[in-house]
Amino acid sequence: METLIIYLTYIAYVFIVAVYTIKVVGWLRMPPHIRWDLYPVIHEKHYHYGGSYYEQQEWWTKPRPKNRWRSLLYSLKDNLYMGQYYKSKPLYWLFLLPWHLGFILIITFHILCFFAATAMLGGLDIGAASGQLAGVAFYYLLLVTGGIAFVTGTFGSIGMGIIRLADRSLRKYSMPMNFFNYLFFLVVYGSGLFAWLVLDPTLDEYRTYWLGLITLSPPVLHPMTLLHIILFDIFLIYLPFTRSTHYITRILAYFFIRWDDEPNQRGSKMEGQINALLAQKVSWEGPHIATGKTWVEVAIEPGFPDAKKDHKG
Amino acid sequence: MNKMIHIKDFSRPGGQLTEIDPAELMPLPPPYDKMEKAPIRQLTDDQRKRMDASLDGIVAIGLTPPATPEEEKAFIEKFLAGLEKLFTVENNWTFLQPLVHTLDYCVKCQVCSDACPTYEASGHQEIYRPTMRPEILRRIISTYIKKENSLLRKFKDSDIDLNWQTLARLAELAYRCTLCRRCAQVCLLGCDNALISREIRKIFSQQMGIAPKEIHEKGSVQQLKVGSSTGMTPAALRNVLEFAEEEIEEKTGRKIKIPVDKKGADMLLIHNAGEFLAWPENLEAFAIILDAAGVDWTISSEITGYDSVNYGVWYDDFQFARVAIRQSQVAKNLSVRKISLGECGHAHKAGIVIADRVLTGDLNIPRESILPLLEDIVLSGKIKLDPSRNNFPVTLHDPCNMVRLMGIVKPQRRILEKICPQFREMTPHGVENYCCGGGSGFAITQSTNFPDWRSAVSGRMKLKQILDAFQDVPGAEIKKYVCAPCSNCKGQFRDMFEYYGVWKKSGILYGGLVELIVNAMVDIEKPFIQWEWH
Repeated sequence: METLIIYLTYIAYVFIVAVYTIKVVGWLRMPPHIRWDLYPVIHEKHYHYGGSYYEQQEWWTKPRPKNRWRSLLYSLKDNLYMGQYYKSKPLYWLFLLPWHLGFILIITFHILCFFAATAMLGGLDIGAASGQLAGVAFYYLLLVTGGIAFVTGTFGSIGMGIIRLADRSLRKYSMPMNFFNYLFFLVVYGSGLFAWLVLDPTLDEYRTYWLGLITLSPPVLHPMTLLHIILFDIFLIYLPFTRSTHYITRILAYFFIRWDDEPNQRGSKMEGQINALLAQKVSWEGPHIATGKTWVEVAIEPGFPDAKKDHKG
Repeated sequence: MNKMIHIKDFSRPGGQLTEIDPAELMPLPPPYDKMEKAPIRQLTDDQRKRMDASLDGIVAIGLTPPATPEEEKAFIEKFLAGLEKLFTVENNWTFLQPLVHTLDYCVKCQVCSDACPTYEASGHQEIYRPTMRPEILRRIISTYIKKENSLLRKFKDSDIDLNWQTLARLAELAYRCTLCRRCAQVCLLGCDNALISREIRKIFSQQMGIAPKEIHEKGSVQQLKVGSSTGMTPAALRNVLEFAEEEIEEKTGRKIKIPVDKKGADMLLIHNAGEFLAWPENLEAFAIILDAAGVDWTISSEITGYDSVNYGVWYDDFQFARVAIRQSQVAKNLSVRKISLGECGHAHKAGIVIADRVLTGDLNIPRESILPLLEDIVLSGKIKLDPSRNNFPVTLHDPCNMVRLMGIVKPQRRILEKICPQFREMTPHGVENYCCGGGSGFAITQSTNFPDWRSAVSGRMKLKQILDAFQDVPGAEIKKYVCAPCSNCKGQFRDMFEYYGVWKKSGILYGGLVELIVNAMVDIEKPFIQWEWH
């Protein structure tokens, strides 16, 4: 069983990284779109009131500085804090935030476990009574991230299920998949919580598990911890089938749609891309569109409806 | 009644899905809390026979039901063919990425519903939720385009029955969203449910030839054909300009020649031609200010070149591109250095921002808003102004397209702060403003009972905001001014104020920004603003 765990874990991590990558690359490879910016645009100088470079006369003659770091920090903060939910749906936020913290921290916990195990291979002694400062720091860091992940994830999964059922507006738009997710994630976090509180209060077994993963030597674990790890691996494999990629795509949507205020300039790469798109043939069949002509050919025709094809309404 | 609606009800044959109940609408402050008439007119029996009103009893498009099952089948197939095209690069590169993102990543948390003025003002009518249209579309895609396994579909997306009635209701529902994009602004996942309304409109127009007459046939088509969506020809424009020059002389004693087709002018100014007919004082005020400031400008008399509107931005990519390209061609022929847009919100967004990725090469002529220039003229002291001439309560309406969708927030405020001593903000304002209720073509949609709906529902939140802004001076004896630097918004205010009797009950007038500037000009003897309802 322990050997299987090693294979399953590697498969789970490779799978989630591969599918997330495919999804993100697919998102990024969509063609440039018409500008559809929405203010405030955070990289703008006057973002605090939503101002843009269009507030200046002859804006094209002026510099357009972009504070990308501010934008990045803003979107990351949004990932962690979810301020809009706090403002408009505080009760929902009360469950949503811990639910998401659970996701973030359980992944962080496992990444830290990997580093801790690597450090252990290098001779670091990890524990509350370790004589090495790094060993103590690792110990408490793992305890805090793991502990909070199990608690918030369990609390959030229960709370999200309840609020989705209790709130009519949420219930109406919920699918069986939503409730399956809450239940499954509850089992994942709950099993971790139980194993931690009852069997492994120092979370030592996770370090053993990651040491086993790195050295490819099957670890000896308590069956409850083992169950949680299997569930967690399945969780990693299942995640890409949910809307969870939104952790990444929402940031992309901010940068490449909502805050995309880059003007198209003559001779630019953007202009070249647009010209290529304008040269593609369209197949719309409306009375004012000549099917089979290119985008630009259709756009330069007047497109008055003829007698045969009628625009209704 | 509205509390019970489910998505599957959209496929229910016959009958009306919901009704706007006056008792459920968001309350307005007195004396508007008790309307003397029913807020929305009922359709006549004849209208009901001719036009489908099975969504909410309101008609924006008014489709005629199919006569045979074959016709219904063909209608559905054509829609599905259009829906497939929406996801192809060649047909829809323009909005593919934001469309796919919204459909894939919305978690239906309903935060956007609280931000939608139509949903809120309607008393939470289920059908007006910003998530409703995308959810219907998502289910159609899952069931009829992707044809996913039935069990899997039920697990993650759920089904929908597709018939003529479903699509007729969906088409109407796409015209119950003003595209103000307040919903998108609050979405933490970067989704844009307002865009889905536009994309649904696009399928109906670009694939099926279905759009409200005012927007397509009498709108963008007429603009491309005769020169303006108002129907104004180049010859009629000349008459309008002559009339404006006479009026300027009458009002101010100044002889100003409005420059037309001036080759090599620095700036081509394009107004919303609706101003010329409905609010000529706006055109006149512009001429007075630009003349006084010594700006080198011109108006075009070429077809499409004298009307900044671009209705395509609301429903059809090709109609949008056609107008944008022609406007740029006009500027190119005149060899102007830049194009400037007058007081029209959607023309700003369409002409300056969205056209940006359609105009290439020498058609990509620099385009800007007139507001920063006006700000410079007012703040620099190029013209002498006396704020005490505007000593009446003034509030500012932020046109969504100009503010939330473009980030032009401060120039108009700095002007008002300089020339209007009693200027006060609405709450909320700036990029968080509420739509006037006439956005996305609603202000020009005059057929059947639609104007009642936009006054009673989509504009209701804005009316409340305006009344709240003037709550310290509620009586009609104190004249008040809503500054709306947008023709469509003014059109909505005209109809909505008339509907509620706002001028009579509260003494609130609406108008543009330039009128206030001219009203404050020291060397113009008589007040420019006429406190008369029009």
